[in-house]
Amino acid sequence: MARRIYDKEHVKAPGTPLSSKEMYQLPGTIEYTPVAKYRFTTGQALSKFLEELKRGRIAGRKCNNCGRVYVPPRMYCEFCYKPTSEWIYLEGTGTVVTAVVSYIGTARERLEKPEIIGIVKLDIDNKEPQGYDFPGLFHRFCNVSEDDVKTGKIIGARVRPRWKLEEERKGDITDIECFEPIEG
Amino acid sequence: MSMWRKKCTTPEYPGKMETEKYVYTPGLHGLEFFKTLKEKDAIVATKCGETLYIPPTTLCPDFSKGEVVEVPLTNPWYIASYTIVYEDMDGNKLDKPQILALLVPEEDIVGGIIHYVKAEPEEIDVGLMVKAKLKPREKREGKITDIEYFELVA
Amino acid sequence: MKPNIHVKDKVAIVGAGLTLFRRRMLETSRELAWEAAREALESANLELKDIDCIVIGSAPDAFDGVHLKGEYLADGSGAISKPMVRVYVGGGTGVMVPIAAWWHVASGLCRTVLAVAEEKMSPAHPHPQGVFAYIWDPVVERPLGPNLLWIFALEMRRYMHVCGASKEDIAIVSVKNKANALNHPCAQAAAKITVEDVLNSEVLVWPVHRLDVSPVSDGAAALILAREDIARKVTDTPIWVEGIGWTLDTTHWYNRELAYPRYVEYAARMAYKMAGIERPWKEIDIAEPYDPFDYKELHHIEGLMLAPRCQAWRLAREGYFDRTGELPTSPSGGLLGVGNPIAAAGVMKVAEIFWQLRYEAGERQVKKPVHYGVAQAWGDLMQVGTVVVLSN
Repeated sequence: MARRIYDKEHVKAPGTPLSSKEMYQLPGTIEYTPVAKYRFTTGQALSKFLEELKRGRIAGRKCNNCGRVYVPPRMYCEFCYKPTSEWIYLEGTGTVVTAVVSYIGTARERLEKPEIIGIVKLDIDNKEPQGYDFPGLFHRFCNVSEDDVKTGKIIGARVRPRWKLEEERKGDITDIECFEPIEG
Repeated sequence: MSMWRKKCTTPEYPGKMETEKYVYTPGLHGLEFFKTLKEKDAIVATKCGETLYIPPTTLCPDFSKGEVVEVPLTNPWYIASYTIVYEDMDGNKLDKPQILALLVPEEDIVGGIIHYVKAEPEEIDVGLMVKAKLKPREKREGKITDIEYFELVA
Repeated sequence: MKPNIHVKDKVAIVGAGLTLFRRRMLETSRELAWEAAREALESANLELKDIDCIVIGSAPDAFDGVHLKGEYLADGSGAISKPMVRVYVGGGTGVMVPIAAWWHVASGLCRTVLAVAEEKMSPAHPHPQGVFAYIWDPVVERPLGPNLLWIFALEMRRYMHVCGASKEDIAIVSVKNKANALNHPCAQAAAKITVEDVLNSEVLVWPVHRLDVSPVSDGAAALILAREDIARKVTDTPIWVEGIGWTLDTTHWYNRELAYPRYVEYAARMAYKMAGIERPWKEIDIAEPYDPFDYKELHHIEGLMLAPRCQAWRLAREGYFDRTGELPTSPSGGLLGVGNPIAAAGVMKVAEIFWQLRYEAGERQVKKPVHYGVAQAWGDLMQVGTVVVLSN
């Protein structure tokens, strides 16, 4: 059987590309807007976590079998596959693992003011936990410049949560306004 | 459940699908279908061997590409099946019952068109002849609603 | 090393087919699937009636805007009145498709499988990005208004930090892959560009610029897998599936070290063990690591154990992964160059190894002799590794 060479010279692949203009004007093209609203239950672990945010502290679950601490909390240990054992409460101080500067929003629209987002590895007993997996949160940063991100100065920096005023908190991840560097 | 609601301040969390809209292209024979409907008093079917497929499927069961054949809307079609709708999507009673039917141009075809039939519920029956009521050419948009409805042939 | 698994039947890939990869296509999803499937059948000189079972792969229904996408794709994938299954592991789906097809044949259940992957991302408006919002946790992540690029950017920044790679070092991958795609008949984003072009392109989420990212695409891809006796009958050059592997990590992506994809390594170890490969960095001749972003290719080269940790970017700089290099990676042009219709892109990568091992890649054929190749995909919330090892 003849060899079938798969390159530009020998193959014309099927498919009918359209320009954006063509697509909208084609007879038979239809548009449809989905109306899908959801109510998600937060579950046992996250309900408690959100309630504690209102009180200005971060709740985690500890597995006494392997010693792992979970933030956000889970009611089961992913590794031991057993129920986690107890609640522990963290102040929220931690170390920046990674951070980026976003110039676009959720639907890829340009933002007027870029946002700084990152991951914080949270302290347990005022110490940075070691290992591949760790308790941590994904959040916005404030008092951090674009330059701090680009030079890498922010990575490894010590941060703490900046809480909203108590009366403004509503049991939401945004009760923490952002994480900010600890001075000195 | 009610106990749980009392115990927890935030048992549920709202969400909304952010997609503004979907735009669906008609496909290969689908494009022919809507072009023909817009420009002529006809639609197209996909012909595989001796069998016609409506709506046109582009591909045949043996995976070959089917032939496009025109099927006039000016001839009578038949009611293959129907249903009478008394309520809208939200369960509100309609002022006048609507008849939705599966309509076929002849006997030996696979599929058909789903459309409204303008008739009284007591007049309707399987096997009755109907004819398409089309919008005037200049008002057609290349959509299935270019056929306003089918009506019974007296 | 001896393989660790008993299989009833040895499995080969005997055909492959692709559609064009483009931003928008006239064809419906099922028509795209059909076009790719027909190409694959033709390339194997087979007809649909020769196929016993069908495997379909497609990423979230929310892209095409059609629920029950597996069923929707059934007729276009040749599945009418045949045993059919759809597999889905996010971006990892593309390589999960031949994995699932393999077990259909290896188990003795089917003699031949048509494996089809399709994605049509153009229906979702204003941009498919919005649809991605529903992969995040609704309670602790979505209220922050995340964009899909955030998580990639966070991972890329972490890789740069831990491994000491600069933006320039990583951009080399985009330059390489887009250039490789110049010879690919389906390519959407092939281009001759420089590292400076990447750095000067629009910044989306620093460190990610527009040219660090693969485009969104419509497209389909298909493979034919067959039992050994049938494979030998239909072709003189069957390409053997020597090993498969896949693993998942947790969706809690910010609770683990992002600089290294542990789950890809585990998947690769599973596949290598089955293939009897002990030193992949020496025994693998050619690779198609998943490259939706340029840094991801480096990340995955390390996860596949084709380079020591944090060394992939150094080797890339030396041309080690070029088409003329010691271990060519993404000779197809990858997702960065050919395009990224999610599930179809993974199958495209497997198809490229298939053509390369048959010496049928034409202008894209790598310079060195090739015996063993590996293709890999990755996905969901940075948690899935899917790997296949092929040989000629």
